[in-house]
Amino acid sequence: MKLAKVRKSFSRAVGDNLHKWMILPAFLLFLTFVLIPLAFSFGLSFTSWNGIGKADFVGLANFATFFSDERAGNAVKNSVVFAACSVPLLNVLGLGYALLLDHKNSFNKVVKAIVYVPAVISPLIMGYIWLLVLKDNYGVIFTIFGLFGASGSYANLLGDKDLALVVIILINAFQYVGLTMTIYSAGLQSIPVDLYESASVDGASWWQKFLHITLPMLGPSILINIITNIIGSLGIFDLVVSLTSGGPGYHTETLSLYIYRLAYGARSGYASAIAVMMFFIILIPVLIAYFIMKKSNLYLNEDEG
Amino acid sequence: MKIFKTSLKWLFYALALVVIASFSIIPLFVLFKLSVSAPGETMAETLTNFTTWYWGNYTSAWNSSNLGTAIGNSLIITLGALVILIFVSSMAGYAIARSKKWYNQTFFKALLLSMMLPAVLTTVPLYIIMKFIHGINTYWAMILLLAAQTLPFSIFVYAGFIRGVPKEIEEAAIVDGCTPFTAFWRVVFPILKPVTASIVIIQGVSIWNNYGQAVYFLTQPNMETLPLAINSFFSKYSANWHEMAAAALIGIAPTIIVFVAFQRYFVKGLTAGAIKG
Repeated sequence: MKLAKVRKSFSRAVGDNLHKWMILPAFLLFLTFVLIPLAFSFGLSFTSWNGIGKADFVGLANFATFFSDERAGNAVKNSVVFAACSVPLLNVLGLGYALLLDHKNSFNKVVKAIVYVPAVISPLIMGYIWLLVLKDNYGVIFTIFGLFGASGSYANLLGDKDLALVVIILINAFQYVGLTMTIYSAGLQSIPVDLYESASVDGASWWQKFLHITLPMLGPSILINIITNIIGSLGIFDLVVSLTSGGPGYHTETLSLYIYRLAYGARSGYASAIAVMMFFIILIPVLIAYFIMKKSNLYLNEDEG
Repeated sequence: MKIFKTSLKWLFYALALVVIASFSIIPLFVLFKLSVSAPGETMAETLTNFTTWYWGNYTSAWNSSNLGTAIGNSLIITLGALVILIFVSSMAGYAIARSKKWYNQTFFKALLLSMMLPAVLTTVPLYIIMKFIHGINTYWAMILLLAAQTLPFSIFVYAGFIRGVPKEIEEAAIVDGCTPFTAFWRVVFPILKPVTASIVIIQGVSIWNNYGQAVYFLTQPNMETLPLAINSFFSKYSANWHEMAAAALIGIAPTIIVFVAFQRYFVKGLTAGAIKG
């Protein structure tokens, strides 16, 4: 009798407090696979560890190497150029698509779905698909040039040291414009219609409405798109692996790809140091984007977090 | 005259939409056309000949590759990671939405911050951890790893949605004899169904497509996931574009089918993650 009572009050105590532990599984998972590796990464960046054996502390030597390593500088340049071109391209295209397809009807719905399809394809396979299209000697575009008797004037875009990166930027935009568009579409639909109506009554033109209503009201969408695009483009990896694997030479080698190769090449300490540098490279534009949006009069959801 | 002008406007508008749609879909049609070409055909013949359809590339690509095993592996890893992800992130989202305790809120901020970090950042130390827990080339470790990497977005979406669920619902359940924990699973979790569906679809696709982690931690051919198998296939048969096109189509078909079937959940989930309220 007494035992049952004790057991009941015990299970009651556990049951009442179980919800306080609900965060624990998530925390353990996050700790093991995100937080500890991250801390580890910072730690390893001060060592000359080669992947096996013991790690020797070398202070800031890896960072000194980073600043004198031409290949690292080249990888930073490629990643930054890629992001600096991709982010505006994706946002202008995505917003343009969203505006064109803003009217709700079933035809627009189908077009929106089609535009989104490339975004669900593995970027690695996407690269291989475009490889079949762009290859010289037998690729689709080369062949089409040939059909018009102009195969001699087809330049192998992926083998060109300046154009290869441009091609990757365009294919990435092709793949993810649907994602950016979807977020803008949702943003557009959340703008109250009466704002436009009263502006029309006041005789505002389409362009004035766009500048003074649409853009400011899209603030949160613009911010989320720019930030996710910056993060996504600076981390680009899969698409480059399948399209060029960094070539020709190192002309399309991005930071992710360089880190990957260093890690495989048993330069784990140095790879970690570059990863740490990459962290700061990503942090800067994200913080700038955030503060610009906060300072400007663009409408922002403030009750986050 | 005016009618003529507006209909012309509509014509241009419709034309623009058709151009946009075809721009996104034509590469996939081209891929399909390549995949049904006869083995001896040149590319020029394939692009101009619309009378013969040869389906043999699919079987030969399937037989000379690891695609069957890979689809099985991808299924196991994706489903496993999703089950863990939903279980863990819905509870955490609930705790964060309902309890203002400092550890919950700090954890939430850490999650938001980690969403900004590309996965490659932690690759080297993750390798050490995976080795330490004997997780290289195992399903369970890959499942846990991918669940952990998709955790921040899911918790973010869950927490945002649960904040909008009235507290009275759980309070009524607790008065009726539930503990807060059972009240969550019996009363709140069922309400979250649409969010859960969105997370399953969006994160399922990203887990299915994962290459950046799989390439490090699944090194045995019998553990290859679909992107890895396509990668090996393309590097092995780099001149046979007939079979390459077929293999690529097999590789992209699952996610496209899932997208077409569950399209509305994609839009809902993205919007919930991006813009609150």
